[in-house]
Amino acid sequence: MIGRFTSYLRRKSDAFNRITPPWPPRAVELVGALLLCTVFGLTYRSYFRNWVPLGPQRTVATINPKMGVHTRLTDEPDAAKIKRSLEMVREMGAPWIVEYFPWAYYEPKRGQYEWSHPDLVIDHANRQGLTVIARLGYVPEWARPEDSHHLYLEEENYAAFGRYAVEFVRRYRDKVGYLIIWNEPNLSLEWGFRPVDPASYVKMLKVVYPMVKAAAPEVQVLAGALAPTLDPPGSEWSMNDLDYLQRMYDAGAAGYFDILAVHAYGLGFDADEPAGESVINFRRAELLREIMVRNGDGGKKAMITEGGWNDHPRWTRAVRPAGRILNTVRAYEIAHAEWPWLENVCLWVFRFPWDQKSYQDYFTFVDTDFEPKAIYLELQRYAQGRFEAP
Amino acid sequence: MNEEGGRAENDPPAAESADGGRQWLAAEGPGGRRTAFSLRRGLARPRLWIAVCIAALAVGAWLILRSGGAPVDNIWLKMQERGSWRVGMDPSFPPFETLDAEGAPVGYDVDLARQIAAQWGLEAEIVAIGFDSLLDALLVGRVDAVISAFPYNARMTKDVHYSPPYFEAGVRLVVGAESAYEEIADLDGGTVAVEWGSRGDAIARRLQREGAGFTRLPFGSGQEAIGALVSGASGALLIDGVALRLAQGEGKRMRAVGAALDEDPYVVAVSIKAPALQSALLQALATLEEEGELGLLEERWFGQGEGRE
Repeated sequence: MIGRFTSYLRRKSDAFNRITPPWPPRAVELVGALLLCTVFGLTYRSYFRNWVPLGPQRTVATINPKMGVHTRLTDEPDAAKIKRSLEMVREMGAPWIVEYFPWAYYEPKRGQYEWSHPDLVIDHANRQGLTVIARLGYVPEWARPEDSHHLYLEEENYAAFGRYAVEFVRRYRDKVGYLIIWNEPNLSLEWGFRPVDPASYVKMLKVVYPMVKAAAPEVQVLAGALAPTLDPPGSEWSMNDLDYLQRMYDAGAAGYFDILAVHAYGLGFDADEPAGESVINFRRAELLREIMVRNGDGGKKAMITEGGWNDHPRWTRAVRPAGRILNTVRAYEIAHAEWPWLENVCLWVFRFPWDQKSYQDYFTFVDTDFEPKAIYLELQRYAQGRFEAP
Repeated sequence: MNEEGGRAENDPPAAESADGGRQWLAAEGPGGRRTAFSLRRGLARPRLWIAVCIAALAVGAWLILRSGGAPVDNIWLKMQERGSWRVGMDPSFPPFETLDAEGAPVGYDVDLARQIAAQWGLEAEIVAIGFDSLLDALLVGRVDAVISAFPYNARMTKDVHYSPPYFEAGVRLVVGAESAYEEIADLDGGTVAVEWGSRGDAIARRLQREGAGFTRLPFGSGQEAIGALVSGASGALLIDGVALRLAQGEGKRMRAVGAALDEDPYVVAVSIKAPALQSALLQALATLEEEGELGLLEERWFGQGEGRE
C-alpha cells in the first residue's frame, strides 16, 4: 500500500518537474524585485508617513533671551505642522517654549509608553534651538476611578504619576531640562472637580520630586503654575493663588521644587499696572515672588509658564489689538530689565491646531494656517531690536 | 455565461437547496450538537411558518416606517407646547445684543429672534448665557437656539445645524463712497489705513507680502483708521464688517468693495436633532430676507448708512 502511494507521489513529482515555467527566469526575477520594492516602499511609507527631516541645527537670534511662548502642540498630529510651528517660534525670536505632555496620552496602559509624538515635538524643538519646559498632567483611565474626571488623581497614585515623570526624564533628560508638575492645582476643575488641597498637592511633590531627582538630578522641577484668582476663602471653585502658595510652604513644599511656575495674565490692565492683592494683572507675579522670599526661598528662580493679553472684540477682559502688542512687548522688557529672579516669560498661546471659535483664538500669535498675526510680526521686530509703535 | 453561472440563474432554488437549505439554517449548538431545525421541517409546520412570516412582515414594516417616516422633532414639539422659543445669547455685544437701562435684552439679534418666533406664532424667550458657554447650552438642551453674533464653526457641524449667514463680520476693503477703487489691485501706489494689530492689519501685511503695492498706515484704534479714510489721509481702509457698518450708521460715507477678505459670518445655531426647527428657521429667514425685514433690522440698529453700497 505504502509502496504504491510512494510510486504515485514519484510519478506526480516527475510530471511536475517536466512542466515548463510559463515565464522566462528573467521575468520572474523582475516580478520578484518589483514585489520586494513594493513591500519595502509600503513599509517605508507606513513607518515614515508622519516624518519630516529635522533640518540643520538652528539657534534663536533675539535681543531678549527671556522671550517664550506656550506652544500647545499636544493635539497637533502632523509632523510638518509641528516643525513649522517651532520654526516660527524661533523666527519670532523666542528661545523658550512650554509644551504639554499628557500622561494619559503617553502611558495609555500601565507601563506601556507611546513616545512617538513627544519624540517629534522635542526633536524638532531642539533642532530649532528652543529650550523645552515640559508640563506633565492628565491622568490615564487606569490610574483613576471609573468615570472620574481626567484630572482626578488620588494620593495612592502619586507614585504612578512619578513613574511616568521618571520614564519621561529618562528618555529626554538630554533634551528637556525642566518639568512642571501639574497645572493650576488651585482650581477645582484642574483638581478633578474636588475641593482644592494645597497640602495634598505638596504630597504629590514630595512623591514625584525625589523620584525625578533620583533618575536625573540635573532636571529642574517646577511647581505651582497657579491660576491667578480672587475667589473668596471657602469658594468651591478655587483658592486665591497667594494663599495657596503660602499654604504650599506651610506644608513643606520648599524642599520639593527647584523653580516656581507662575501664571501672569494682564487681562484689561497695562503691564505696568502696580500689583495688588485684590487685582489680577501681570505684576501680580511680584506678589508671588514676595511670598517666596518671605518663606526663605528667595534663592530660587521663577518662570512665567502662562500669561499674556487677549484682543477678542467682545471678551470683557480683553484689550484692543494695539494694547495687546504694547503690553506684550513691555512684559518681555520688564522680565528682562527688572526681574532678575525670573528666567523667562512663556506666553499663552502660540497657535492652536484648529480654531476654537471663542476668545481663546485671540490669545494666539499665528493662525491655524500659520498666517502670522500682526502681534507676531511686531514681536519679531522687537526681538531684532527694530520695534517701533506707530 | 459559464456553466456555474447558468445553473445559478436558471435552476429553481429548491433544486439544489434541499440539502443546502438545511445546512443554511442548521446552527451549531454550544456543545457542538446541531440544532434540529431545517427549512423542510419548518415548512411541515404551517403555524410556525405563518408566525415567521408575520414576524418578518412586522420587522419589515417597522424598518420602513422608521426610516421613511417623518422624523420626530421633540425640540420643535416642546416649543409648540411651551409657546416659546428659547434663544441663548450673551447680551454684551452692542448693537447685536446688550441690556437696556431696565436690564432687558435689546439689539439686532433680540429683534431677529422675536421676528422669527413671531412667524411661528411663538414668543422668543431670551436666555442670557456667557458667550463661551452658548454652544454647550444648546447641546444639553438648555436653549433651542443660539443667536448672539455667533460665528459659523465647521468643526461643530456634526452636532450643530447652522442657518445661512444673516450678517458678514469679516474684514472688508473699504473706500470712500465716491472712490473709484474697486479692488486691491487699484490700490497700487496708494495707502490703506488699518487698526494696528487687528485682523485688517494682518491682512494688509499679507497682501503686501504677496506683492500688493500700497502703503500700510497703522493707527492705534479703529476710529483713528476710519478717520484717516474719511479725512482723505488714506485712500482705503481694512476693517471688520461690524465696525464698518457702525461707521456707516454714524453717517460716514464709505462703502465696502469686493468680498470679505476674512470671512466671519454670523449664523443662527440649532440642534442637529431638530429637523423641523431647522426647516422652519430656513423658511423664516428666507421670508424675512424677501420682505426686506433683515435690511430694516440692520438700519434700526446700525443706522441708515448712506452711500454704503
